[in-house]
This record gives sequence, C-alpha cells and structure tokens, in this order.
Amino acid sequence: MNNEILEGLRKAIKEYDNEKAENLAKRAVEEKLDPLRVLDAMTVAIREVGDAFGRGDLWLPDLVGAADAMQAAMPIIEEEIKRTGAKRESLGTVVAGTVFGDIHSIGKTMVCTLLTAEGFKVHDLGVNIKAEEFLQAIRNYNADILAMSALMTMTAPEQKKVIEQLKKEGLRDKIKIMVGGGAITEEFAKEIGADGYDPTAPGAVKLARKLIGR
Amino acid sequence: MAKGFMRRFPPLKILTDEQVEAIHRGTLDVLQETGVLVYNEKALSVFKKAGCDVDFETKRVKFPPGLVEECLRKCPSSFRVKARNPKDDLLIGQDNVLFFNFPGTDTVDLDTWEPRPPTKKEHIDLIRVLDALPNVHFLNAYPYFGFSGGIPEVMKEIEGVALRIRNSTKVTIAIANNDIDMFTIRMARAAGSEIFANPNTSSPLTCYTDQVNACFLAAEYDLPSMIWDGATSGGTAPASLAGAVVLSNAELMPYIVLLQLLKPGARVAVANLVLPQNMTNGAPAFGEIGVSLHNVAFNQVWREYGVPTVSSSCGPTSSKRIDFQLGYQKMMPTLLSALSGSSILQLYSSIYGEITAHPIQAILDDDIAGMIGRFLEGLEVSDESLAIDLINEVGPIPGHYLGKKHTRKWWKKEQFVPKAADRLTYPEWVKTGKKSCIDYAKERMEEILSTHKVDPPLTRSQEEEIERILKEAREYYRKKGMITDVEWESYKKIIGG
Repeated sequence: MNNEILEGLRKAIKEYDNEKAENLAKRAVEEKLDPLRVLDAMTVAIREVGDAFGRGDLWLPDLVGAADAMQAAMPIIEEEIKRTGAKRESLGTVVAGTVFGDIHSIGKTMVCTLLTAEGFKVHDLGVNIKAEEFLQAIRNYNADILAMSALMTMTAPEQKKVIEQLKKEGLRDKIKIMVGGGAITEEFAKEIGADGYDPTAPGAVKLARKLIGR
Repeated sequence: MAKGFMRRFPPLKILTDEQVEAIHRGTLDVLQETGVLVYNEKALSVFKKAGCDVDFETKRVKFPPGLVEECLRKCPSSFRVKARNPKDDLLIGQDNVLFFNFPGTDTVDLDTWEPRPPTKKEHIDLIRVLDALPNVHFLNAYPYFGFSGGIPEVMKEIEGVALRIRNSTKVTIAIANNDIDMFTIRMARAAGSEIFANPNTSSPLTCYTDQVNACFLAAEYDLPSMIWDGATSGGTAPASLAGAVVLSNAELMPYIVLLQLLKPGARVAVANLVLPQNMTNGAPAFGEIGVSLHNVAFNQVWREYGVPTVSSSCGPTSSKRIDFQLGYQKMMPTLLSALSGSSILQLYSSIYGEITAHPIQAILDDDIAGMIGRFLEGLEVSDESLAIDLINEVGPIPGHYLGKKHTRKWWKKEQFVPKAADRLTYPEWVKTGKKSCIDYAKERMEEILSTHKVDPPLTRSQEEEIERILKEAREYYRKKGMITDVEWESYKKIIGG
C-alpha cells in the first residue's frame, strides 16, 4: 500500500500530473507515511527527470511540468514534516529571487523547486527584488547561498549592485552567490564577483552543492 | 520619391478567410473575457471612460469587442514619417517595403566570435555604416547598447540617441524604459526629425507603466508609434502558432485602443517579435521555421485590419558567427515576411539574438535586402520585355544577345548585383587572394567609414539643444538615484564634465 503511494507519486511527477501528485500526497498523509520517505521518493523522480533533461532526452516543458507536479504535492508534505516534527537534514539555506526591474519568474522558480527537492531550505523572495530586500532576507534566514536571476540585459547589472551592497555591509564573505538567467554569462558572473553560474536549472543544483561542498 | 521597395504582386496567404476570422474572434474573446493588466492609472481612466470594464484595484481591463474594432478602423493603413532630411522621409504601408536594423547589446570580435562592449568609436562606426547603406531606411533603438567606459545603465540609450542624431539623418526609435523617451523625443525634435514612440507589450497580457506612458507621449508630441510584441511561443505564449497570434494580437490591441482614444487616426505600426522557445535552454529559437509561420499568419491578419506590420524577428539568428546558419536564418524569415505583406523588415546588423551586432553584418544584410527588394518589384510583362521582335531578329545559334541595346538596358533592370558576394570564377578567385563575402564587406566598410558624411550635420544650435537635454537627463536620473555617486565619477570622465 505504502509503496503503491510512493510509486504513484514518482509516476505522477514523471507524467507531469499535478492533480495526481496532490491527491497522492494527501493520501500519504492520511495513511501516516513517513513524510521524509515521501519527499525522498519525489526527489528521486525529479532527479530522474533532471538527468533525462541533461541527456537531451527530455525538454524544458517536461522539466517545468515535473517541477509543477512536485510543487503541487510539496506544501502538503512540508506541512506534514512540520506537524510530525520529522527532522530532514538540510543541505543549506538558499535565498533566491529575480532582481529589481525584472519580472521573469519561470527559470527562477524552477531552480527553487529543484533546490528544494535536492534538500536545500529555499526562501523564494519572488520577482522584482531590491538589493535591500535580498540583504534583509539573507540576515533573517542566515542564508548560505544567494541565488539571483535576471533575464534582461538591462537588469543584469542589478546583480552587481546586490553584490556590492553585500560587500559594503561586510556580508559578502559569509555567503556563496550564484547567478543565472537569460542575460547572464559565465564571464559576466565572474566580472561581478559571483561564485558561480550555470545556464540550466539542473546544473544550478549541482553548482549549489559544489559551492557549499556537499 | 518614397524610399523603399514596392511589392507589385498580391501577398502570400497562409490562412483561409475563415481562419483569419477565427483568430480575430479569439483575440476579441480574450480581450473581453480575461482582458489585460494595465499598470498605469491615467490609462485605466481613459479605458473606463471609453466603456471598458476596469477594476482599479486589480488593474484588470476588459475590452468590449465593438471598441476594439472601432479603434482598429481608425488606424491609418499608410502614413508618412518626417526625417531631418526629406530624402529620409518614410512612407509606411501601401505595399511599400522598408528595412531597418536589429540591435545587439555588444559588438563581436571577428577572430574569436566572442561578444564584447563596443568602444564609442565602434558604436559610431556602426551608426555611420547604417546611415550610408541605401536600403537601411531608418534606425532602430541602440544599434549597440551604450559603449565601454562606464555609462550608467539608464543613460546608455539616451547617449545612444544623441550619437544617432549626430551621425545619421535617418528617423529612429525612442524606447520607453524608465521614462527615457521623455528626453529622447525632445532630442529628435530639436534635430527637426520625428521619432517613433515605442510602447512594448509584456507577455502574457500585461502592460507596464513606462510602456503605456509612451502612448501618452506619442499623443502629446503627435508621433508615429511602433508597438512591439515579443512573446515566446511555448513560454509566454501558447506553443501553437495560431494561439500565439491570438495572444500577441490581444497584447497589441490595448495599445492600439489607447492610441486611437487619445488621438483618433494616430499613426501606428505593429511589430512582431514572437519567437518559438528553444526547449533545450529556454532561449528564443531565432531564425527557426516557426518564426516565419508566425510572421506570415500575423501579416495576413493585420493586413485585414489595415495596420502596417513590422517583421522584427527577421534579424536575429542563433549563430554566433557570420556563417551558413546565419545566412539561412536571416534570409528565410525576411523573404517570407516580405512576400506576405510586411511593411517593414528588421534585418540589418544583428548576429546572435539581441546580443551581438556588427557593421560587417549590416553590409552583408544589404545584399539580402537588395535581393528581396528586387524580387518584390516583380517582373514587367510588356511588348518591350517580351522582346518578341528581338528574339525573331537574333534567331538560332550563332545569334546572341550580348551586344544588343535591349540587353544593355534590361540586364541592369532585371539583375540585382550583390556588392559583397563572391561572384568570381575560380581562376579569378585564386588570383585575387581567395576572398570571401566577409572580406568584401570589410573593404566596403572601410570605404564607407573613410568617405561617408552625414548630410546635413547638426547646426550649432541643434547641437547645443541636444547637449542641454542630455544634461537635464543626467541631473534627472542623479536625483532619482538611478545614477549612483560611484557611477557618476566614471561617467563624468566620458562626458568630460
């Protein structure tokens, strides 16, 4: 029975079925399954989808579809983890957002979902985030990683502003910074003093692990 | 004599009349059912007064179909735009086809093919080449985004407009981000030229403040507008191309309605930068076949509306080099858009996406424009061109046509001779150093840069007025905190302040 639910969840994510994923998550709670095992099952599924994307067997709509299905189930399982007081070892805390002036969210949200699946504690601040909002969140959550997105050439320099602000306030050395988005290149990331860049969401997850040595 | 090429045959159609009607009905349905978000209080009031269903709290505006159709009818099917030198005045519509450039943020290194910011001189060089090329009929915003040395972000395009006005007499475009068109419109006016107001849509179904303000500026200064829609089909628009046409049309309509409400008969063209999404990396799939299918369908629908269209997706490619891929990714959408009734083709100077551009590419594109322009003019069928008498006179071999007066007159009319193409025979090619089209384009660029002069240059008082507006803009953005003290220090060195 339990395995049937876990297997079903895995399948729901790999078939991009939000409704099924949500229903199975609810059933998992009803049947009092260990929420950490449920989360693991989903993580395995999303990782498989990510790997297939990496190999070129799947495409962006598949990746986003799987992430959406995972997201449909996630709040239910997270709530259950909180309720039962189950301890999930966190890989680290991430503060993420799309920079000020930019309202593009698809890529950023996908990275957040995959990071969560991987085992990071992610605080997604949303889009159009000002430097001071990033800084405040970094302090509040004692973040290990800052992940910033910018799709437009005109908003990319905003990432630099945030990094400069971090330096000014003596926070730069306490945090790893990863940047991404359509307007960002490896070279630009280096130039503005970020710690890493990757053009894809699954790549961003690997990068995050590398940055904190996990 | 209007600039441009006249298309002398009916446009290519890809849709049936019923399919055009279905797209139109779908557009009206989306506008009435879902409407759009409009983040602009002034516009919300205008829409409300005109009978739209406006929610001032959520900023959602829903449009009655009758109002949209009425405003479409008010758009002129053709119009003129005034340049500083009458030789550069524009006629848009009426089967006249014009070309202009697609921007690049950076220039590209021709040895490594990597992008880098242009120097100020390189920025000006590209403007001068575009000014000199006869088939570039007006200039887009940019052509590069600023230049190296430390211009604050917000000033890059304002400084860019000043460079264009100083180095070209061709009409240009005033992009609307961060109110910069408040300054650039006045700069164009100071030089005695009109400039296109440039409200851009945000997909899906959202209109942001600055972009909507551009409509108010267009009305205030009585300017022509070019509205851009750049949805990505599969990302910010449906993956189905018909659905993508519906969505981009629904995004363009609020601007059409606003422009016509503010000033009935306002001059407007709609620019189509809808691109399929590359499903591997999320970038737009520049130059791929979906670009052309969307352009052709879009042109057909807007032709029914009687609003001139701009095919904006012709210029950018996915290639990083000037190579075979770039050639077909530019030629195919440009040709199909031209055949299907675009009034304006945005072809010149871009290489990869909106990232790189180069004057060499502009010179190569001039040959594409020349070839397509020649095709659009079609072929004449008359007693003289049928040449029956001549054929009878020359007869079979050993007769030939090379020495005939008729040949001397007609070959130049019928052939377009590309300026940068390699057209040599093998022995000639070897003897002249095995040059490629890129080598010829370099030679033409050097020739242009050493001889071309802007005609007429700005007068002293025009120059002073532009400098005054630049100063005012710099102060405005310093006060707004969009130029920081650190940025100001390096910026001062560039402007000599």
